Amino acid sequence: MFSTHYAKTGQLLRLNLRRDWLKIVFWLIGLVGLMAGAAAKFDGLYGTKKAMATIITTLKTPAMVSLMGPFTAKPPYTVAIVYAAEMMTFMGLFVAMMNIYFAVHTTRGDEDSGVLELIRAHSVGRSSALTAAILELVIINVIAGVLEALGLQASGMTGMNAGGNWLFGLGLAMFGLMFGAFSLLFAQIADSSRGATILSYSWLGILYVIRMGTDVKNPDYTWWTIYGWIEKLDIYGKNNWGPVGLMLLMTVIIGALTIMVGATRDVGAGLLPDRAGRKRASLFLAGPLSLIARLERTSTIIWLVGLFFLGATYGSIFGTAGDLLKSNPMMSKLIGTAATDAANRAIVLSFANKLTIIFAVLAIIPGLITMFRLNGDERKGYFEQLHARSVSRAHLFFAIAGFGLVVSLATFFLAVCGMYVAGAASMGDNMPSFAHFMRGFWGFAPALIVTFGFGALLSGLLPKLQTLAWILPAYGFFSLYLGALMNFPKWSTQLTPFGWVNTVPVKAVNWGTAGWMTALGLILVVVGYIAYQRRDLLEN
Amino acid sequence: MAQPVVQIQHLQKHFGKFQALKDITFDVYPGEVFGFIGPNGAGKSTTIRTLLGILKKSSGQATIFGQDVWSQAVAIHKRLAYVPGDVYLWPNLSGGEAIDLFLKLNGQKHSAKTDALIKDFDLDVSKKNRTYSKGNRQKVALIAAFSTDADLYIFDEPTSGLDPLMEEVFQKHVLALKAAGKSVLLSSHILSEVERMCDRIGIIRQGTIIETGTLDDMRQLSRTQVTVTTVKDLSTIQQLPAVHSFNQTGNKATFAVDSENLASVMTALAPLEIKQLQSTPPTLEDLFLRYYNQEA
Repeated sequence: MFSTHYAKTGQLLRLNLRRDWLKIVFWLIGLVGLMAGAAAKFDGLYGTKKAMATIITTLKTPAMVSLMGPFTAKPPYTVAIVYAAEMMTFMGLFVAMMNIYFAVHTTRGDEDSGVLELIRAHSVGRSSALTAAILELVIINVIAGVLEALGLQASGMTGMNAGGNWLFGLGLAMFGLMFGAFSLLFAQIADSSRGATILSYSWLGILYVIRMGTDVKNPDYTWWTIYGWIEKLDIYGKNNWGPVGLMLLMTVIIGALTIMVGATRDVGAGLLPDRAGRKRASLFLAGPLSLIARLERTSTIIWLVGLFFLGATYGSIFGTAGDLLKSNPMMSKLIGTAATDAANRAIVLSFANKLTIIFAVLAIIPGLITMFRLNGDERKGYFEQLHARSVSRAHLFFAIAGFGLVVSLATFFLAVCGMYVAGAASMGDNMPSFAHFMRGFWGFAPALIVTFGFGALLSGLLPKLQTLAWILPAYGFFSLYLGALMNFPKWSTQLTPFGWVNTVPVKAVNWGTAGWMTALGLILVVVGYIAYQRRDLLEN
Repeated sequence: MAQPVVQIQHLQKHFGKFQALKDITFDVYPGEVFGFIGPNGAGKSTTIRTLLGILKKSSGQATIFGQDVWSQAVAIHKRLAYVPGDVYLWPNLSGGEAIDLFLKLNGQKHSAKTDALIKDFDLDVSKKNRTYSKGNRQKVALIAAFSTDADLYIFDEPTSGLDPLMEEVFQKHVLALKAAGKSVLLSSHILSEVERMCDRIGIIRQGTIIETGTLDDMRQLSRTQVTVTTVKDLSTIQQLPAVHSFNQTGNKATFAVDSENLASVMTALAPLEIKQLQSTPPTLEDLFLRYYNQEA
C-alpha cells in the first residue's frame, strides 16, 4: 500500500526543489524583505502621538476597513499594532498568490507538459508526485514563516513582542498552506494548469470580496469567510492562536480530499468529463482575431463580470464611507449640512481614486495574459500552422495586441461602472455624478495603455524576458496601495505609469498628460511589432 | 526543364554561435515529389522553417514560386500547405474547428473533399484537441493540408505518429497530388515511403546537403554486393581497385563493387568461368547508412 502510493516521494521532492529553488528564493526575498523592511520603517512613520492618532482614524474609516480589514485593537496603541493592521490582509494576499503559483506549477503544470507521464512510468507511487508537491509547499511556507518572524524580531519595531512575531510569521505560513491546499484540490478538478489557476484565483477573489463586505457590515460574520481568519489573530494585542488551528484543520481536510481525488483520477484528466466539441467551426471563427477571442472567451467573461462586481462591492460601501462626517454631529454643526455633504463627496471621490488605481492594475492582467500568448502559444507550437498559412505577422500581432488592450480597457470601464452603480444606490442624491467617476477612467486608462505597451514591447523585443512586464503593474499596485501609508518618496511612486496620473477623479483629467501617455503606449506597441516581425519565431 | 517551384542556394542559418545550416542547395520542380532525408538534428526542420519564413536566413538565397521566402511569406503561403512533424493544437478547440480555421486562413472552405478526407483518415472531428493522440493531431493537420488547394505541399515527417494503415492513406493522397502535377517536399525517416513516392532525394548531414539526385543516380554512386562462384581461383579479383570487403571461401567469394565499375569487374571475372553469380543493388538503408556515417 505504502509503496504503491508513496514510493520515491523523497526523490521527487528533491528534484522539484532543485528545479524551483531560484523561484522560491525570489518569492522568499520578496516576502521577507517586504515585511522586515516595512517593520523597520514604521517607527519613523508613526513614532509621534499625532501621526498615530491620524493613522488610527484613517484605519477606522470604512474605506480602509474594506481594503485592510477592521481595526479592532484597543488602546494603548503601539506602532506594532498599526503595522499588523496595515500588513496582515495584504501579506495574506501575497502569500496566497505564492502558494497558488507553486501548487499549480508542481502538479498540473507537470501534467500538462507530459513530465508526470514520464515520472509515473518509473517505479514511483501513484500519489508520490502529489505528496511531493504538498511537502514542497509545507517546506516553502515554513521557511517563509520562520524568516518573516525572525525578520520582525530583527526590525526592533516599538511594541512588538516575540509571541506576536512568531504568530505573524507562522500564521501567514499556515494561511498560505491553506490556500496551497485549495489550489492542489483545484488542480485535481480542473483539466489544465490554466483552469486550475483560474479556479484558484476566482476562489481567492470571492473570499476576499466577501470578507470585505462582512468587515464593513459586521466583523463577526468575517469568521465565516475563511479569508478573514487571518484578521482574527489580534497580533501584538492578545496574540490569538485559535485561527491558526482553524486553518490547520481546514488544510488537513482539504489536503486529505485532494489526495483521495488525486489517487482515483487518470493522469491528464480532470474530474469533469470532456464535452464533445463542434464538428465544424462556427462562421465567427475565421481569422486570428476571432481565434484569439474564441480562445480567451471564458476568461474574458470572468474578468468583465468579476471586475464589475468588485467595483460594485466597493461602491456599495460609499454610503457608509460618506456618512463619516454625519456621524459626528459636532462637525456637522460646525460646518453646516451643505458643507458636510460636500465634504462627504470629497471623501468618496478620494476613496474612488485609490479604487480606480486598483481596478486599473487588475484590468491590465487579462490584457497582458493575452499579449503573452504571442510567444506562449508560439513556444507550444500552436501558431506554427498559422504561420504556414497566409497570415502575416502584422495581422497576428495586432489581433492579439488589439484584443488584449480592448479587453483590459473594457474590464477597467466595467469596474468603474460597477463602482458608480452600487455607489449611487448606497449614497442616493449625495452621490457625485457619473462624469466625475469617468474622470478616473479617462485619467488612468492611458497608464493602463502604457503598461500594456511595455508588455507588447517586451514580447516583441525580448520574448524570453516578457514576464518582466508584470513588474510594472505589481510595483504600481504596491507603491500606490502602501506607498501613501508608508510615506514613499514621490520619485519612487513615479517609477510606474500609474504614478504619472494626477489624483483623478478628485481633480479633473489632465488631457495633456493623458494624450502623451496614450501616444507613448501605442508607440511602444508598434515598436514591439517592428521587433517581432524582424526576428525568428520561437521554436518549440 | 521548367522553372523550379522551390529554389535554395547556399542557404545558411546561425543560432548565436551555432551554425545550424551551413550550405543548403537544392531545387524542387513542378510535379515532383522531393524526398528530404538526413539524421536527427541535421537541419531538416530548420530548413523547412526557414522556407516558411518562421526563421530568418543568415545568408544565401531561398525562393518559392520565385518569391523571397522571408519578405513575400504571406503571398507564398496562399499557394502552400504544410504539415509539421509535431502538430500542436489549441486544447480547447475541437479537431473540426481547427481544420475549418486552417482552411479559412487560406481563404478556402470546408468542401466535400474535406469530408472525404475526414472519412479516409477516420478522424472523430468532434473531439477536443487535448484528447487527441499525436497521430490524431497529425491527421487534423494532414486533412487541412490535403483539403487545401495549393501548388506546393511541405510535409515534415508527417507520418511519425500514424499507424501503417493511415500511412497507406497518406501515401495514396501524396501520389494523387503528384498525379495532379503538384509539387511536394517530403522530409521523412521512413525509407520505404521515400522509395515509393519520391522522384528525387536530397540528403542533408550536419547542415549541409551532401547529395541530391534520383534514387538510381545514388545507387550508381554506391556499391553493389556481389556473390560469385567460379571454376578457377578468384583471389586475383581482390587486387582490383573497385572491389571492397573481399571475403573468400574456396572458390566462392563475396565482395562489394563500386557500382560505376561493375562492368570492368565482370570483364575480369569472365575468364575465371563463372558458375554462379548473384548481385544485389544497395538497399536504400545501405545507401543512407553509408551517407549518414560518412566523415564530413
